[in-house]
Amino acid sequence: MAEYWGVKVEDIFNTMPERFRPDGAKGVDASFGYEIKDEGRWRLSVKDGAMKIEKAADLEGCVSIMKADGETFVGVNTGKVDGVNAFTSGKVKVEGDFGAFGKTAKMFKKFVIGKKEMSTADYIKDMFGTLVSRFQPKNCPGLDASITYQIGGQGGGVWTAIIKDGKCSLKEGHVDKPTVKLEVNEAKDWVDVMLGKSDPFSLLSAGRAAIVGETALAMKLGEIFAKYQPPASLGGEPEQELLVLKKTISVKQRFATGPVMGKFLNALKEKKLIANKCPSCGRLQIPPREVCAECRVSADEWVEVGPRGQVRYMEYVYYASPDPLTGETRETPYGMVNILLDGCKGNDTFAHLIRRDQMDLIKNGTYGVSGTRVRPVWNDRRIGSVFDIKHFEIDE
Amino acid sequence: MAHRKKNRNVGIIGVGQTKYSSHREDVNQPEMIHEAISAALKDAGITMKDIDCVVHGNMELFEMIHQPDLWHVLGTGAYGKDSIRITTGGTVGATIGCAADNLVASGMYDIVMAIGFEKLQEGHTTGGITNMADPLWFRNLQTGALTGSKAYDVIREFGEERAKKVSLMYRIIMDKHACLNPLAHRAFGLEFEQIDDLVRTSPKLVGDLKLIEMCSQSDGACAVIYAVEKKAKELARTPVWVRDHITVHREETFVMFGYDENYPVPMTHRFAAEQLYKRNGIKNPVEYFDVFEMYDPAAWWAVDWLRDFFQLKGDEHLKLVENREIMIGGKIPVNPSGGVIASNPIGATALVRIAEAALQVRGDAGRHQIPTPVNHALASGFGGTMWTVLTMLEKELNW
Repeated sequence: MAEYWGVKVEDIFNTMPERFRPDGAKGVDASFGYEIKDEGRWRLSVKDGAMKIEKAADLEGCVSIMKADGETFVGVNTGKVDGVNAFTSGKVKVEGDFGAFGKTAKMFKKFVIGKKEMSTADYIKDMFGTLVSRFQPKNCPGLDASITYQIGGQGGGVWTAIIKDGKCSLKEGHVDKPTVKLEVNEAKDWVDVMLGKSDPFSLLSAGRAAIVGETALAMKLGEIFAKYQPPASLGGEPEQELLVLKKTISVKQRFATGPVMGKFLNALKEKKLIANKCPSCGRLQIPPREVCAECRVSADEWVEVGPRGQVRYMEYVYYASPDPLTGETRETPYGMVNILLDGCKGNDTFAHLIRRDQMDLIKNGTYGVSGTRVRPVWNDRRIGSVFDIKHFEIDE
Repeated sequence: MAHRKKNRNVGIIGVGQTKYSSHREDVNQPEMIHEAISAALKDAGITMKDIDCVVHGNMELFEMIHQPDLWHVLGTGAYGKDSIRITTGGTVGATIGCAADNLVASGMYDIVMAIGFEKLQEGHTTGGITNMADPLWFRNLQTGALTGSKAYDVIREFGEERAKKVSLMYRIIMDKHACLNPLAHRAFGLEFEQIDDLVRTSPKLVGDLKLIEMCSQSDGACAVIYAVEKKAKELARTPVWVRDHITVHREETFVMFGYDENYPVPMTHRFAAEQLYKRNGIKNPVEYFDVFEMYDPAAWWAVDWLRDFFQLKGDEHLKLVENREIMIGGKIPVNPSGGVIASNPIGATALVRIAEAALQVRGDAGRHQIPTPVNHALASGFGGTMWTVLTMLEKELNW
């Protein structure tokens, strides 16, 4: 299995249970598939705030399947690779329900790559911190013993593991008459032994370590406790957590319309669309502008136009942007239409939305050719705002 | 437009940039800005003591910080100095460059530092751009800077197959450039063989504008130091001279979708370029300039705008792309840095164009340096709706 930044693909999956956030999985009842090139397939099942991850032969029934190569997958999960970039460039592909897939991001805490350069003291601390969890009672039935570790040098200390009735506990310091005592002169030597970089026998023969008491028990320590795994391959603590403070600013706003825009908005209440006309170039502005910016003159003649017209250009929007009125994500796709209302010409177009179920029927107009004819659908309650018109619809 | 000769010549003597990225959670805003400031001061071989005035700019309220220059004094070094904050939207980076140039040229200050920055991950980019539209009407209808209209225009004019290919061709050229720039945010390693596949598979955003064709949302900062001629000659190994700049604004408008041949839509890019070339006696911009750093927010816009900026006709702009003449080593390299599609910390983006153009003139761009001599460079800024800033840089003071 290949490693990327010291992390294997399976490490990401294997740590999912401990990184799981039940809060982020509320109301989710689905299976999600992962297909990692040359590594295999995994199925994540989420239901009732609980999860299960398993290697799978097939991914049938998954609502979405994420596909990536191992390096990209590990990179995105560890923050080494930008997820948006990976998706943009096609290195990550999602089949099926993309919206559902997005929910998986909230279900897990970030995978943190352990510090590459751990100090001796860090290792010693981590080794004894994990000792109890590495205890293997099935390998030493009936054992009743106390094992003291006396570690000298920087990062050293004294710890005693007490094993009785198939359970293990750890206390700091000495106990009376331990079954066996390991004396190690230098903490660094012990770290090297535990990481498999050197062996205990050479330490003993070099006189840098000693065993006092039941030597036979000391020789079995490798069975009594599972092998120590440094945090690099399992997650662990980063040097310093990068804190990000989250804020939301919500401000009530009131915008004066002024008499020109106000006249137009008031006319909407009467189901009328009015434009103001530039006395110099003759263009109609709708919504109106106080002046014609091109001619730098006041535009104070008013003309009623529409309300029917033809579509000149429709923006077919797939991207789910926030609605500035509510902050909620807009439903997609939607169509923003630029309409040449009857009575207008040239670029005097009027922008609004089209009825969503009619988007695919809209034809844009071109030079000399009319676009699809449309008419406004008015709201019953009109207050002089852009949404006094619900949307436009095809005028047949 | 009245336009007079500068009182004093102005040279760029220092450039500093951060890495552009969407992962700058390791630093806060002043800390990030400080990285660019330190780099620019080091590049110029001066200290903050030598700076007379700081010009600071970014997108108004994109990170919802009112008066960010207050907080940022910690990173900008503006404490106890004259400091001016400017914000003009997408063009802001170019505008702070113009302001720094004007402040030195006028005789007010001898050395001015322009600082553009953005931490887009700390706010909401599309929300920010949507809120730039007028609140009485268009704010309710707009979708940030995303539009499929330029794709629609190019497809109408040149046919679907050619248009879609040329847009992706442009995109991949930019990626190839970005791969040579260690500061670029997005460098995918795309190949020309992927054009057909990407046309088919890249998710659509609006109309025929696809995800791969749109710019990134980046964090980053850029600082450029402007000095009066005398000091520039004393301090810099190769000062880069700011010959001229032009800004053209339009009304805030969306009335450009009539598609009636009798009613052409005036384009600020073409208009600005025309004015700039006229007053500087430039007949053929493609021949004159050795590099163009263009504010290219999306591949479709970029392809179309080449025609406006270079005053081209018919399909000449498409041929520049199709024949890879805009690549490093081509006739007129565009965005050797990878451009805005690769890195877009918006408030810094247009200043990065000037910074990168200056590095090309100096010959200090590193792996993305154009191999042939760069004597004349053009940089553009773009903002909404349809605003243009152009800056001309020169190696020699001989115009």
